[in-house]
Amino acid sequence: MTDTNNSPVGSSWNSDKFMAGLAKRKRSERRFRLIGLAAILTALTLLAILLFSIFSKGYTAFVQTYITLDITFAESVIDKDGTRDPDAIRNANYAKLVQDALRAKFPEVEGRRNLRTLFSLVSNNASDTLRDMVEQDPGLIGKTVEIPLLAGDDVDMVNKGYIDRDLAEENRRVKDQELRWLDILEEEGDLSLHFNTNFFTQGDSREPEKAGIAGAMVGSFYTLLITMAIAFPLGVMTAIYLEEFAPPSKFNDLIEVNINNLAAVPSIVFGLLGLAIFLNVAHLPRSAPIVGGLTLALMTLPTIIIAARAAIRAVPDSIRQAALGLGASKQQAAFHHVLPLSMPGILTGTIIGLAQALGETAPLLMIGMVAFIADIPGGINDPATVMPVQIFLWADSPERAFVEKTSGAIMVLLAFLITMNALAVLLRKKFERRW
Amino acid sequence: MQIQQIDEQQAARQGDAAEMIIKTRDVDVFYGDNQALKHVSLDIPKHQITSLIGPSGCGKSTYLRCINRMNDTVDGCRVEGEILLDGVNIYGPEVDEVLLRARVGMVFQKPNPFPKSIYDNIAYGPRIHGLAANKDELDEIVLTSLEKAGLIKEVQDRLHSSGTGLSGGQQQRLCIARALAVRPDIILMDEPCSALDPIATAKVEELIDELKENYTIIIVTHSMQQAARISQKTAFFHLGEIVEAGDTEKLFTSPSDERTQGYITGRFG
Repeated sequence: MTDTNNSPVGSSWNSDKFMAGLAKRKRSERRFRLIGLAAILTALTLLAILLFSIFSKGYTAFVQTYITLDITFAESVIDKDGTRDPDAIRNANYAKLVQDALRAKFPEVEGRRNLRTLFSLVSNNASDTLRDMVEQDPGLIGKTVEIPLLAGDDVDMVNKGYIDRDLAEENRRVKDQELRWLDILEEEGDLSLHFNTNFFTQGDSREPEKAGIAGAMVGSFYTLLITMAIAFPLGVMTAIYLEEFAPPSKFNDLIEVNINNLAAVPSIVFGLLGLAIFLNVAHLPRSAPIVGGLTLALMTLPTIIIAARAAIRAVPDSIRQAALGLGASKQQAAFHHVLPLSMPGILTGTIIGLAQALGETAPLLMIGMVAFIADIPGGINDPATVMPVQIFLWADSPERAFVEKTSGAIMVLLAFLITMNALAVLLRKKFERRW
Repeated sequence: MQIQQIDEQQAARQGDAAEMIIKTRDVDVFYGDNQALKHVSLDIPKHQITSLIGPSGCGKSTYLRCINRMNDTVDGCRVEGEILLDGVNIYGPEVDEVLLRARVGMVFQKPNPFPKSIYDNIAYGPRIHGLAANKDELDEIVLTSLEKAGLIKEVQDRLHSSGTGLSGGQQQRLCIARALAVRPDIILMDEPCSALDPIATAKVEELIDELKENYTIIIVTHSMQQAARISQKTAFFHLGEIVEAGDTEKLFTSPSDERTQGYITGRFG
């Protein structure tokens, strides 16, 4: 060995002991990297499985089966007197038109029970469709037109292949007779899949083929609007006060600890708080976005405060000093300089807090937003539900067709969440400032 | 006889010219339990440059920050004694620290322009104090401030681009222009050249020298050459006390205190 050991104590750079230590360090680093890689791969695989299972089940929710029938707009049914009176047209029995068309298609069907089964192939929403058509264009009366009508949920399930035909008939929801009719319709090209606009324009319904997520989307929108209007200004003001103005004291330390604790409180507890205060004390309307928004605001507040404080703290002191040195008051320094500079960070935190609120279910169950509401809410005081609760409700429904609705609603919710998070990342990237 | 009288009058006038704008009497500053300044008494002459020198932690920056009450913003800081600005104690109850800071501008160690346009950087002070009645006046203030700071030629084509895009020396001169825009009487400079290269330093020093015509300047510096080059008066701080203060020339050539001698010859500090 060459004598390169200049230092009087310790082992030299090329001693065996040093080399062994070096090899050990390298091994441990390699091991750590492998573990990290494995962890990421596991997470990605699980995410892929989750997304695949949702998408594979859910994408069919965006199309819906329609049955094309030759509808005869018989004057004898719609407008017996021939007056074209709008009231008469509105109150006519359009279901009969559909039933007549179905009977014409399958003339061999007889008997009350069989007929009822036959009529159930088409959704009861069909008569509304026909009424709308005639009201818009009374000239249709007396004509026969080929019209695709929304099929019942069982037909839809069969058409999408979700009903197992090999199952014994008594275990099957759709009986052999209906399958036969459907096969005939299929052969004649009368079954078709259309984009499911109802899903995005209608409220909830007991009939899966008519159920839509619009009511829940509007409910979520109003709820988040309230949440943002309350939690954002309150949270930002609190953060500014605590960071810029509050003198350090035991009391402020206590506040800080409590805010951090609040961020970790289970959301259902906020639901109970909302129930106790907003419903039982303030007597605000039950199931309404105003109460949901207030409750979620309580839940989101700590998240926003913590994010805003971090963003405010990241603004270098030199900026405050520059402003104060020019004779700006503390408030001017905070509002003219610190706040605008920390806004991107605050907005990022706020969006993430709101995304959390958007996905929240538990506290809303407590304040009655879990009710079945078919109407699209028209304001913050109307009964409403929100998207995650709608998912919860549909997942609870027995009809097979609600399974795909559930997955479809999850996809819509995920799309919203991803959009919001992407917006947060974009904001951060765009306004990121290095000091 | 007459000539002699005139000489005397001139001498008296010069005495006036060297009137003391700031008189510090027995100032003690505490950060919590830690005393940073001990019985500091120092007079600052008007329209001259006064250097504060001394080793790190000697209290010179603390003293500087007392003059515009920037120490008020530090939690747990307590100031005792009197600092008279034109005969008024700035720690007196009737003095508003916000107005005081408009009268006593400050330039910091690290250039700290606002991340806004050059124009907005300078216009900020006049805006918050309402010094400009309209847009034209504001434009005028911005341009004259830039001119006084010797920056106008370099930035006149890009007044609306960001102030943080300038070089370090330009940023520091922008900060000086920003301080000038609120028309202060006194400008405090806390090691304004420590983050600058020698060329930028030379420019800033030249600027400071020009500014003394109209402003009283107090500058904290670690560079004794800088203190000797630009200042008329120098005060040497050590361990929170003023060891020696007086004419720069005298302090650097024949200091009366051993510690001053040791510091300026580089034996300690």
